[in-house]
Amino acid sequence: MNRTLVVAAKEIVETFRDRRTIAMTFATAALAGPLFLMLIFNLIASQGERARTLALPVGGAGHAPALVAFLEREGTRILPLPADHEERIRAGDLDVVLVVDPDYAQQVADGKPAKVRLVYDRSRDRARASIEQAESLLRAYGRGWGAQRLIARGVAPSVASPLEVEVVDLATPQQAGALVLFLVAYYGLFATLMGGMPLALDATAGERERQSLEPLLATPATPFEIVAGKWLAVAAFAGLVVVVTLSGFQLTLAYAPLPPVGIPFLFGAREFGRFVVILLPLVALMPALLLWLGSRGRTIKEAQTNISLLVFVVSIIPVAQMFLQRREPEWLPAVPVSGQYLLLSRALRGEAIAPLEFALSCVVPAILVALALAAVARRFSHEALVAGK
Amino acid sequence: MIAVDSIVKSFGRDGAVRAVDGVSLRAPPGEITGLLGPNGAGKTTLLRMLATLIVPDAGSASIGGLDVVTDRAAVRRRLGVLSDARGLYPRLTGRENIAYYASLHGLAGRDRDERVDALVRRLGVAEVADRRAQGYSQGERMKVAIARALVHDPEVILLDEPTNGLDIMSVRALREELRGLRAAGKTLLFSSHVMQEVAALCDRIVILGRGRVVAEGSAAELISRSGAASLEDAFVALLGSGEGLAA
Repeated sequence: MNRTLVVAAKEIVETFRDRRTIAMTFATAALAGPLFLMLIFNLIASQGERARTLALPVGGAGHAPALVAFLEREGTRILPLPADHEERIRAGDLDVVLVVDPDYAQQVADGKPAKVRLVYDRSRDRARASIEQAESLLRAYGRGWGAQRLIARGVAPSVASPLEVEVVDLATPQQAGALVLFLVAYYGLFATLMGGMPLALDATAGERERQSLEPLLATPATPFEIVAGKWLAVAAFAGLVVVVTLSGFQLTLAYAPLPPVGIPFLFGAREFGRFVVILLPLVALMPALLLWLGSRGRTIKEAQTNISLLVFVVSIIPVAQMFLQRREPEWLPAVPVSGQYLLLSRALRGEAIAPLEFALSCVVPAILVALALAAVARRFSHEALVAGK
Repeated sequence: MIAVDSIVKSFGRDGAVRAVDGVSLRAPPGEITGLLGPNGAGKTTLLRMLATLIVPDAGSASIGGLDVVTDRAAVRRRLGVLSDARGLYPRLTGRENIAYYASLHGLAGRDRDERVDALVRRLGVAEVADRRAQGYSQGERMKVAIARALVHDPEVILLDEPTNGLDIMSVRALREELRGLRAAGKTLLFSSHVMQEVAALCDRIVILGRGRVVAEGSAAELISRSGAASLEDAFVALLGSGEGLAA
């Protein structure tokens, strides 16, 4: 135990001596929150503004004066249609334009459906609010007009609308906020992996590359004591990086002059604490996996190649989970990374987390930590490794 | 006391390469025993088995009466090893590198600091001891590695090519240190492919060639046994060729 702590202390001291790595690690950890939150909040704010006063270039406005009057009454700013509107929509300069067919007046006079064309690029997230607003205005205009025609023919408008859809949106403002705070969860998860990486590589493949492992193994410290010490050091460091990353998000949300977007965020001291606790199984697991992968490399470069697959898997899981949007199965909390992401998103939505679920999220990481450390210890006592091969 | 009996170690698929092939030797306390042989003679493999880092295929070896396989932990406490791999931690100072090993051997506090200090002075690295090891010359690195191996005052000391990369002054300082350890009754086993080194320092010489003991005795005994005029001629005569040895 004593020797384990000696190893851990030495690894920590050595890491903090590496000023460049320390500066990079903590700068990226601390700045992730402020930077991404600024970007996201500005995006939301600008979307909100665009939606509020829809500026709609209209071509052939003269053919449909009643429609244009309706749009203006609804607060739309009517602009002249630029000739190159299609290119400008593709380039993202324009969100949506309306083109009235030259035969519009004739079609109305003939009692046929009158044609207008709405031009947009739906793949642009930024334009979505304007597109939806333009579409709903046109739908409202069409409905009102149709109702008048029915009344003119002595039919109650309700005959033509047998279904009345009433929308009840259950998303509380907190839940809407959770979407943005996906980022917080993602960065928290990622910090458990990235935080310990330089130290874990240095402590395994680095020892081999520098030829300092053989003399270390000839001391009375057993391979398991050495590995346990290294693991303690990497986990402590990864934990520190997680705390710094989350603090970046929390302090930004609490004090930074973010544009007001009307989402009451719940990421106070309580959520901060819950986040750290939820991430603890990964703070233990990721360093163990990193040490295992690192010990399989003769040089730091080799070990980095081994680790890139782990980084890929960890980075893709939360994204996949967000896009799948299915109801989570009961066993999901037990899966490392997935389970933590699930619990983090619940914590953000302000939902309760059953102690049993948290316990379940610790089981597999605990087993994997034991296996990984045993594997590294076995590898360290292997002759081939001592013989430098 | 080091006792080695018919020890064997093979590497490669199906043990194709017999690195050490039935070596027996005795290294008594209060003497410096030299292990001389060309590159690839099995010196490093033999020392690694004694250091409990690899397990012999056959035969046995003991350090101070403790078996290197069954009493591994006890052997390690009594042993100081300068192995073939002797990397330092570049971001720690020389002093910290030595103190790390002292702590792993269970030394702490004043006791540890005093031992580190004494070694740093004796080996002549006091000037650079508080600088980071990444800026060290090859000789400074070697001296810190030797200090690291000796910090727990071991009874038995194994040194694998300790003079590699050292300048003349450093070699002389190292010889003084080793003679001091001999006078203190330690058992020293010292491997080298440099004849002058072994001849200058060792009480007894064991010559290894292709994993076997080719001859052993004092320098004078080896010369008279081979009927050669000089030590160099004696080695060549005993090994069949002087290839891989340095004068």
